[in-house]
Amino acid sequence: MKRFLPAIALTFGLLLGAQPAAQAEGEGLMSAHASVRDPASLQRGAHLFFNYCAGCHSLKYLRYSRMADDLGLTEKQVMDNLNVTGAKFQEPVVSSMPAADATKWFGKNPPDLSLEVSAKGADWVYTYLNTFYLDPSTPIGWNNTTLKNAAMPFPLWELQGEQTAVMKPGTHEVEKLQLTTPGSLTPVEYQQATRDLVNFLTYASEPAALQRHHYGVWVILFLALFTLLAYFLKKEYWKDVH
Amino acid sequence: MSKFSAWIGERAPGLDATYRKHMTEYYAPKNFNLWYYFGSLALLVLINQIVTGIFLTMNYNPSAAGAFDSVQYIMRDVQWGWLIRYMHTTGASLFFVVVFLHMFRGLLYGSYQKPRELVWLLGMLIFLTLMAEAFMGYVLPWGNMSFWGAKVIVSLFGTVPVVGNDLVEWIMGDFLPADATLNRFFALHVVALPIVLLLLVVLHLAALHEVGSNNPDGVDVKHGPKGNRWSPTAPVDGIPFHPYYTLKDLVGVGVFLIVAAFIIFFAPTFGGWFLEHDNSIPANNLLTPAQIKPVWYFTAFYAIVRMVPSAFGTAFWGVLGMFGSIALLFALPWIDGGKVRSIRYRGTGYKVGLMVFVLSFFCLMALGMDLTDEYFPRIFGSGIDLTTWDNVFGRFWTLVYFGYFVFLWLYTHLGWEKTKPVPERVTMHD
Amino acid sequence: MANEVVDHGRRRFLTATTAVVGGIGVVSAAVPFIKSWEPSARALAAGAPVTQSLKKIEPGQQIVVPWRSLPVFIVNRTPEQLAALPKQDDRLVDPKSDGTSSGQQPEYAQNETRSIKPQWLVMVGICTHLGCVPDYHGEMKPEPFDPNWAGGYYCPCHHSRYDIAGRVYKGVPAPKNMEIPKYHFIDDTTVQIGVGPKGEA
Repeated sequence: MKRFLPAIALTFGLLLGAQPAAQAEGEGLMSAHASVRDPASLQRGAHLFFNYCAGCHSLKYLRYSRMADDLGLTEKQVMDNLNVTGAKFQEPVVSSMPAADATKWFGKNPPDLSLEVSAKGADWVYTYLNTFYLDPSTPIGWNNTTLKNAAMPFPLWELQGEQTAVMKPGTHEVEKLQLTTPGSLTPVEYQQATRDLVNFLTYASEPAALQRHHYGVWVILFLALFTLLAYFLKKEYWKDVH
Repeated sequence: MSKFSAWIGERAPGLDATYRKHMTEYYAPKNFNLWYYFGSLALLVLINQIVTGIFLTMNYNPSAAGAFDSVQYIMRDVQWGWLIRYMHTTGASLFFVVVFLHMFRGLLYGSYQKPRELVWLLGMLIFLTLMAEAFMGYVLPWGNMSFWGAKVIVSLFGTVPVVGNDLVEWIMGDFLPADATLNRFFALHVVALPIVLLLLVVLHLAALHEVGSNNPDGVDVKHGPKGNRWSPTAPVDGIPFHPYYTLKDLVGVGVFLIVAAFIIFFAPTFGGWFLEHDNSIPANNLLTPAQIKPVWYFTAFYAIVRMVPSAFGTAFWGVLGMFGSIALLFALPWIDGGKVRSIRYRGTGYKVGLMVFVLSFFCLMALGMDLTDEYFPRIFGSGIDLTTWDNVFGRFWTLVYFGYFVFLWLYTHLGWEKTKPVPERVTMHD
Repeated sequence: MANEVVDHGRRRFLTATTAVVGGIGVVSAAVPFIKSWEPSARALAAGAPVTQSLKKIEPGQQIVVPWRSLPVFIVNRTPEQLAALPKQDDRLVDPKSDGTSSGQQPEYAQNETRSIKPQWLVMVGICTHLGCVPDYHGEMKPEPFDPNWAGGYYCPCHHSRYDIAGRVYKGVPAPKNMEIPKYHFIDDTTVQIGVGPKGEA
């Protein structure tokens, strides 16, 4: 038995390491280092979401009350500062923008973001928020290198400023983006802000993650104790077997 | 307590005898090793799936309009719903991990050979039922992978000559996976197939206890010398299943639960292996996910479908190949004409053959998971023609997979195998 | 063969310890499953306090507000209806709501009018017999079921009768007065059902 344990551990590690091809299409995503374990970051992310995203995007599976509990906000803070739709505290976060208007303005209905991180991955969302650039050839004036011809005008431009694309010589392929007009945040501050936003969306994708981490350690410690006892009991009985 | 047991015993005459026959007086060989944990673990996972499954049905809504929302309802609004669901999803994948290892144990030690053919056949039926059960369960969350997975897998039946298209419509009850499909899959997943599974498991165990357990030496303890410290008529190398193997399995259960708990609490999606990212998008019949591939446990068989080219205007050959790859496993007791059971005493050809066979399974699995599309460019440069590389790679290993069975038949039936002498008694290694 | 002596004490100790720890594990594992039957966040949200404006309710009129899927009756009682209440006392099972019906209302509504403000009746409209919703017969006029009717409720299922404070008459199948929920006035014309005056839910 003992001979096999390292082999099992190794197999397990390899499996977890060799994750299936990228969570979403697209090479060279920036790493968000997303984590739901920093309450202050989640709170900042929530503020960003409600200030810049909630006008169009819903989190239809997330209730204000649940968010308040998990993020350490009071009912008053949530209802006064974040909830501008007049929804009740226990109701989910639903954007007040009528779908018909959205379709008229953007050509499509802005997607619900409840499960955006589960579907696309935190790194994808993070990279997406960092790769908008001015593009006069699109109807909305903005484009994105992560999601080509994104229908969304860049909502955070005041914070990041305006990026423009440097093309590869003689092509229409973007070589790199450069900041031509600074925003109200420095590039480092902006990256932190988008990280906060991604952290919040990661939380919104799976609020249970907070509970999982909390209980998981204790469950495993308990099981380790049980296994140890079972092992001694087995050893004791197997003294009979020669 | 003994009074109570006596009272029960008088009124249920077979109970005590059954308990003794299958537990305290079922003499299993004393030399079981690590590979022998997976049978009891499979039973544990089955129980987990049934209990968590019952609780999931309490809040799940089997309709195209409500299924996806109801899963999020379970994950967020139902108290502890997330834990119950993760126990079920993790259990599903671990079921296959455990069953694959359990089957591999059979290959290692010739557990399918005479007189255990029926045990093996029943086991294969369990495996087949489990695949159907897992597939239908995978459709229920009605995410985009559920939808397209259902569409693609059901379409496999469309390749059947003549009746194919009618068959597909009959299975789905519509022209696309829809409410009717979801409802019948739900009924089969939560009622019909679990009953079949339970019945097969009982028969599998009954058949095993009739002929007795094999062991890592492949020695027939039943026909060896008699008399041990528990009974003068029991095999000398047999020990009572209870308490010795129940306690040993309990240790296995503990280790297994630690692994399972780690996944459930810290990596429930297992990086997209157990719960796929695209299934976080609701079913959308107009948007095919970027990569359509089955969950990891189906990928080896599924890859064979892709690797067999169409011929005479039909893609049926690939589907035949896939089902054939499973059907051949059914026939294993008759394909393998080996004179000894355990790999410890078999010829070098068998050892190498089995290793290559397992390698082919892993390679087909990697291909089915599209891992090759990720790693080939890294290894061989980004300029390569992936389709050609995939086809060469996949067809080679498909041939190896099927070739193994041909080789095994020739190797054993034509007397090419040079076996080592099998000891009279079982050997203990640790 | 059996040259070692079995240490029965150690065996018993280990068996007991493992069984106890395993038992704790099984019981703990059952807790999430039992808890999953408690009202979900959705049910709790649906059962959240309900706020209702009283501005548009005419004297003598009743409106029905859903709260936790229950019909809550809100009646703007007229002075005549209120004046008739004490006259019913000797025909009622528990006129002061301090007998069999003592648990049917919060303390602050355990009075003659069964309300915080006499004018406003706020009551769960469920008959205490078998759970039907009684009909509102507010007018003080002879009714087929009672020639001396002073306004109140008549249950169509088994003919139980209540006065305009939800107090049950004698001689009908219903045993208790109808239930008054926790509620309070946010201001003069707004009531919140589900939360008492001190914020207790």
